[in-house]
Amino acid sequence: MLQRLLILLLLLGPLAAFSQVRTVTGTVLSAKDKEPLPGATIVIKGTTKGVLTGPDGSFRLEVADPAATTLVISYVGMTSQEVPVSTAPITVTLQSAGKDIDEIVVIAYGTTKKSSYTGSVSQIKGAELENRQVSSVTKALQGLASGVQSASQSGQPGSDATIRIRGVGSINASADPLYVVDGVPYGGNLSAINPYDIESISVLKDAASAALYGSRGANGVIIITTKKGKVKGSNIDVRVSQGFSKRAVKDYDRMSTDQYFPMFWRALFNENLNSQDSLSAARNASRDLVGELGINPYGSAFPEPVGADGKLVAGAKPLWSDDWNKAMQRTGHRTEANVAISGATDKTRYLISGGYLDDQGIYLGSGFKRYTVRSNVDIDARKWLKVGLNLSAAHSDQQAPPSEDSRSDNYIQYGRLMGPMYPVYQRDLNTGAYLLDAKGGKIFDYGDYRPDPANPRTNLVQTSGIDKHNVLRDDVSGRFYAEATLYKGLKFKTSYNADYSNRVGHDYTNPTLGFDAEVGGTVSKANYRTFSWTFNNLLTYENTFNEKHHLNVLLGQEAYKFKYTFLSGSKSGFSVPGVDEPADAALIGSFDGYSDNYRQSSFLGRAEYDYANKYFFSTSLRRDGSSRFAPDRRWGTFWSVGASWKLTEENFLKNTSWLNLLTLRASYGGQGNDNLGTDRYYNYLPLYSVNSNLGLGGTFREYLFNDRLKWETNLNLNIGVDWSMFDNRFGGSAEFFVRKSQDLLYSRPKAPSTGYASVDENVGALKNTGIDLNLHGTPIRTKDFSWTIDLNMTHYRNKITSLPQQEIISGTKKLMVGKSIYDFYLREWAGVNPNTGEAQWKYTNPDGSIKDTTNYSKASLYYSGSSLPDLYGGLTNTFTYKNFSLSFLIVYSIGGKILDNDYTFLMGLGGAAGRAWSTEVLDAWTPTNRNTDVPQVSTVAPSWTAASTRFLYDATYARLKSLNLSYSLPKSLMERAHLNNITVYVTGENLFTLYNHKGMDPEQTVGGTTYYRYPAVKSVSAGINLSF
Amino acid sequence: MKKNRLLFIAIFAAVAFAACNKDFLDTRPTNAVPDDQVFNSVDNAETALTGIWAYMYETYFTFAVPGLKSLDLTSDAMGSDVALTTSYGFRDSYTFIEMVDNTKNRVSAYWTILYKTIDNCNNFLSKIDNVPGDDAKRKLLKGQASALRGFCYLTLAEFYSFGVTTNPNGKSVPVYTEPANPSTPGKARSTVTQVYQQAIADLQAALPLLADYERDDTRKFKIDSKVTNGLLARAYLYSNQPAKAIDAAVAARNGYPLMSGDDYNKGFNDAGNVEWIWAQPQTPTQNVAASTFTFLDVSTPVSYYKSFKADPWFQGYFDSTDVRFRLFQWSTSGPGALLYKKFRFRDPGGMVSDVVLMRAAEMYLIEAEAYARTNNTTKAAEVLNVLRSARNSHLYNAAAGSSVTDTILLERRKELWGEGFSLVDIIRTGGTVVRKPFKTVNGTDSIIKVPQPDGSFVNVRGVGHRTVKLPDGSAFVKNSPYYLFAIPLSELQNNPNLNN
Repeated sequence: MLQRLLILLLLLGPLAAFSQVRTVTGTVLSAKDKEPLPGATIVIKGTTKGVLTGPDGSFRLEVADPAATTLVISYVGMTSQEVPVSTAPITVTLQSAGKDIDEIVVIAYGTTKKSSYTGSVSQIKGAELENRQVSSVTKALQGLASGVQSASQSGQPGSDATIRIRGVGSINASADPLYVVDGVPYGGNLSAINPYDIESISVLKDAASAALYGSRGANGVIIITTKKGKVKGSNIDVRVSQGFSKRAVKDYDRMSTDQYFPMFWRALFNENLNSQDSLSAARNASRDLVGELGINPYGSAFPEPVGADGKLVAGAKPLWSDDWNKAMQRTGHRTEANVAISGATDKTRYLISGGYLDDQGIYLGSGFKRYTVRSNVDIDARKWLKVGLNLSAAHSDQQAPPSEDSRSDNYIQYGRLMGPMYPVYQRDLNTGAYLLDAKGGKIFDYGDYRPDPANPRTNLVQTSGIDKHNVLRDDVSGRFYAEATLYKGLKFKTSYNADYSNRVGHDYTNPTLGFDAEVGGTVSKANYRTFSWTFNNLLTYENTFNEKHHLNVLLGQEAYKFKYTFLSGSKSGFSVPGVDEPADAALIGSFDGYSDNYRQSSFLGRAEYDYANKYFFSTSLRRDGSSRFAPDRRWGTFWSVGASWKLTEENFLKNTSWLNLLTLRASYGGQGNDNLGTDRYYNYLPLYSVNSNLGLGGTFREYLFNDRLKWETNLNLNIGVDWSMFDNRFGGSAEFFVRKSQDLLYSRPKAPSTGYASVDENVGALKNTGIDLNLHGTPIRTKDFSWTIDLNMTHYRNKITSLPQQEIISGTKKLMVGKSIYDFYLREWAGVNPNTGEAQWKYTNPDGSIKDTTNYSKASLYYSGSSLPDLYGGLTNTFTYKNFSLSFLIVYSIGGKILDNDYTFLMGLGGAAGRAWSTEVLDAWTPTNRNTDVPQVSTVAPSWTAASTRFLYDATYARLKSLNLSYSLPKSLMERAHLNNITVYVTGENLFTLYNHKGMDPEQTVGGTTYYRYPAVKSVSAGINLSF
Repeated sequence: MKKNRLLFIAIFAAVAFAACNKDFLDTRPTNAVPDDQVFNSVDNAETALTGIWAYMYETYFTFAVPGLKSLDLTSDAMGSDVALTTSYGFRDSYTFIEMVDNTKNRVSAYWTILYKTIDNCNNFLSKIDNVPGDDAKRKLLKGQASALRGFCYLTLAEFYSFGVTTNPNGKSVPVYTEPANPSTPGKARSTVTQVYQQAIADLQAALPLLADYERDDTRKFKIDSKVTNGLLARAYLYSNQPAKAIDAAVAARNGYPLMSGDDYNKGFNDAGNVEWIWAQPQTPTQNVAASTFTFLDVSTPVSYYKSFKADPWFQGYFDSTDVRFRLFQWSTSGPGALLYKKFRFRDPGGMVSDVVLMRAAEMYLIEAEAYARTNNTTKAAEVLNVLRSARNSHLYNAAAGSSVTDTILLERRKELWGEGFSLVDIIRTGGTVVRKPFKTVNGTDSIIKVPQPDGSFVNVRGVGHRTVKLPDGSAFVKNSPYYLFAIPLSELQNNPNLNN
């Protein structure tokens, strides 16, 4: 290696010598983290001649004056340094001036220094993500930035989390933030982005920061920037990890066979009492018990295992005790490997990376495999012209069996709901021994005898291995730009960016066993293709006048085109087992397909001005046209203004040694939202939907059109203060925000008797008011040991400020002015009647008095609290001792409620013979146990599990989201081995959860309802990181 | 160098302006068309009738609400003769807690289907006169649209208020005859008499328009004059105009003989059945309506919920010689339920079964009941006996003592079980649901000896009705408000005129 460099130097040396002009090349780095410093000034001492460093921190300066001997290298917030003019490449490291924490953050259409920025932005560094055991980057955001609310409602490998930034800004239109990758809105799958490739993630939270993405930034913007080559030479980085995963929290406690049988006996007994005297009721219950449940796990020696006293007969022991829930799960295995080669030469900077992830799910038949490649290249093609191309491709194969579905073949529910007395494998009913097939293998039990609620004729433990629920994804993203310097400080940049995403769903159930055996198996295949491109042209001008007036202006134009194509078909009736494609099945079930087109055209501008690095002003303006609105309504104007004042640059604070930074910021502006939903692109047209009946073409009027629709607007006020003190050891920021959404794209309810339940209109308004707080501290900083803490918290209140009508009930929520959009509106549980054992709810009489009723439908509905938390955030602690580093992130959410529908399935009273029972049912009402919260069991008891406050639980939780312990081998060893770095580490995800309602995972939807989802996963991995 | 830069800019500016093309923001859907492409010819306009029909019968609201055919199942679940299991689907209709609850999906689903169809018909009728094309076809389409609207109002009149004999001025549902626009206000509830009048007016208007129309019998979903007469017969009978019902019923069944006993045992799944006047045929690619069979079909393995078990007392109404009696069978696995195997998938692999909407037997029963209600007992008995003999049942004899009207109403339960008439009959006649537990006289379980193919017997504890009382614990009574369908909450909230 050294020789090759020497050769290069020898080749270059003579060139320099012959030239009368000396050329100085080099790199400027920050001393703290050895990161390149773009925009540093290199000036020949005593002159005004100089250059700025490029994005990789490198510079090239021609020194014509033979007398010049010294260069001055300076950077805002850093101590300037003088170096001698030399023709050999130099590396300059600048120390922080101790006056500033100058983080460069990525913002809309560019980058900026955080301390001088008027907007609100949180940045998450790639290093905070690379140890995380997540397959989608959205899942890693939780707890790392204030104002970001993340709901990882599914633990299915490869699934995304729902992100809400600073509250919920829309009711009907999308409330998702805009994702931007490498400067341009991203149209691919979020799970296609390899977290390892990420340099940083910026979360834009206010108008000043997000308004330039005006058309789509109303719900905040998340900017993902991928890594680039930075340092001269090349660096190879390899990272490999192996791990295991399990369920993060234990599932609900369920009754054992010994608990189940007497309890079901009691349900039968109580039902018999309606028509029989208690003696025959008891005898008949004992007699019928086994028949009702379909099997006698106590063996033929105990034909009536529960006696007329309701207790297990002496000596009766279950011959088997199979846990289907366990049988449906396994310890998941996780392997991840990444390699990246990055570097830079004089005129190019590059990064090539490849990644492999195999994340096996904890439920049978689930998992996620991903292969990614990326190539990021920037070239200085001419002195005045820079071009760059980022290309990434990902292929993933996800096994995603039914979850988030009330189907009986939901893989999460199936094992949970199976009664404990049913064997997974066929048993000898006398001895409990396994029945074996001719080869001596165990035989799966399909349970013909099982009652309906226990899914007779199925055995998912076996068929999960035969059936298929696969999702294949292919994603290709390209980001191409060319930037020309037209004149001093005047640049023109054009970029063309395309995202292609293709998803193929392939579901297959086999023809011989289980759920679809009767129809000979089923197969469905669906293809979802999206292709979108963004083409933009930006003109920027940046200059400093009279050393104090700094101006930065941007003008641009952008066009966006999106096309979605859908194709699906299903067949059934396989001729032979073992093949799973539509070609192998006989009977066509359905065939469907359509495509959608969506476009936007935009013009944008921004101006930033600062005076003496003390007063900062910014303003932006953007006009967007959307194809979702009628020609005369499609253009919207969005804008922002912002200002900040760096008090520590003022004379009265400049010499306060303990205070390093104090900045006040404020911004206000409006952003737009046109996202009515992915199936509502043309609502301004009087459309007839197309269908058919028995081969004849059909059309019908499905929706009312509205050609008056226009943009929803989000007005955003942000006031913040940033501080840093004691040599930058302690600092933070506090921000107050008010987000008002108006002209909501709202489906205004109509009397459905007019034929239409709603019409889309711009009505109603919402307000999110809140506070973001970030605190950063380094309580201990010695030569060998340091401890840093990062704490962030967000509190917000969501309030409806205007509605087209007094109240709107939708599902478990009711909307009213003054309430939030996620306020539960439920029947109120009034406890079990101690005298009768019946379930009771409250109702309000017309005279206003409140009474109890045992009639659920008579019960009144009441506001019952909100699903939104009062406070949420994260706490990161990092300890380093010599080469050891320990860090952990605790995320927390305080307040809010969750309606647990999953649990209600285990809380039946005996109507569903064979379905598993929660141990809480053991506490059911009896004449001797009158004060309880579970009604009397009976096989004909009325349902009591419908939505009510009985199943509404506090959502407060804290979770050890990640824990990482790493050790870097000493530098001295490294040098001998010609390595830059070796780090070994152990990392864990979701290791510990503090939560009150056992069995349910506390990470559910923002709306606070469960839906039989794949629970969160805890994992432990060990890995090694090599760099050379 | 400078020139290069200018060239560079020029190229990109050109491309940029090309992208700002004026049409750039105009996009069109691919699965919908603007209405001017529908109403530009009579032939294209016909798609608007086919389309709304497919919407009515082939739209899943949930798996338990597979289109309007599931309304018929709801009607029977709320009657006397179906002993529903606790499986998913209609269990809450059966226990009378679903259709009174204005927040339930099923409550809003039928309201939505019927009123969306009404508006589509209104829109169609308001436009069709100005659409260019063949006048004969225009006439026919107008007739079909008018009859379809009549059918919707007839259905609404059946379930949302008590019958005209109980209270002719009872508030039923709103009536709309003009197409809606975004500012159309909700209307007030009309009386049940007015809603029947609207239905009858629409059906009467359709009759002359459909007089020349000969339907292709492979397309039994299309409305012709027979179907229209059948609907009129229902509307007259239900609105207590029995004299008018007679002719309409006779006209409707003209050309549709009663099916044979063997055909009755074939599973009620084939629109080719000689007796079927109106039906929605199904195919493997179009089988939403057929998924009602996953509840009705209690014997085919592919059927999933199998929840429509028969009340064991219901079996007692049949002679053992009756062709319909053969369909009973006790289940020996699981809780002992009585299977009534009337409905069976025709093609289990494709989950296909045609669904019946109207057949000749019902017309005989309407005719018989209409005679009975006009005090022509002899004719009533005569017509009833035509059906009874076709079913190989003993003939009705007035001398035996039972009232002919009651006998006909019971015969409707026997003949039309599972076809959706239970609750309709209870409401329109001011009757009551009758359910009693399947117990012996001593209150103990009824044990049934079920013969097996090998000659042995299996003892089964017979399970009948689970719910034998109203949700408030009181006994079933005549004209209980629990029998009526609630108007969905969204209507109450968004229609301030509703109760004016």
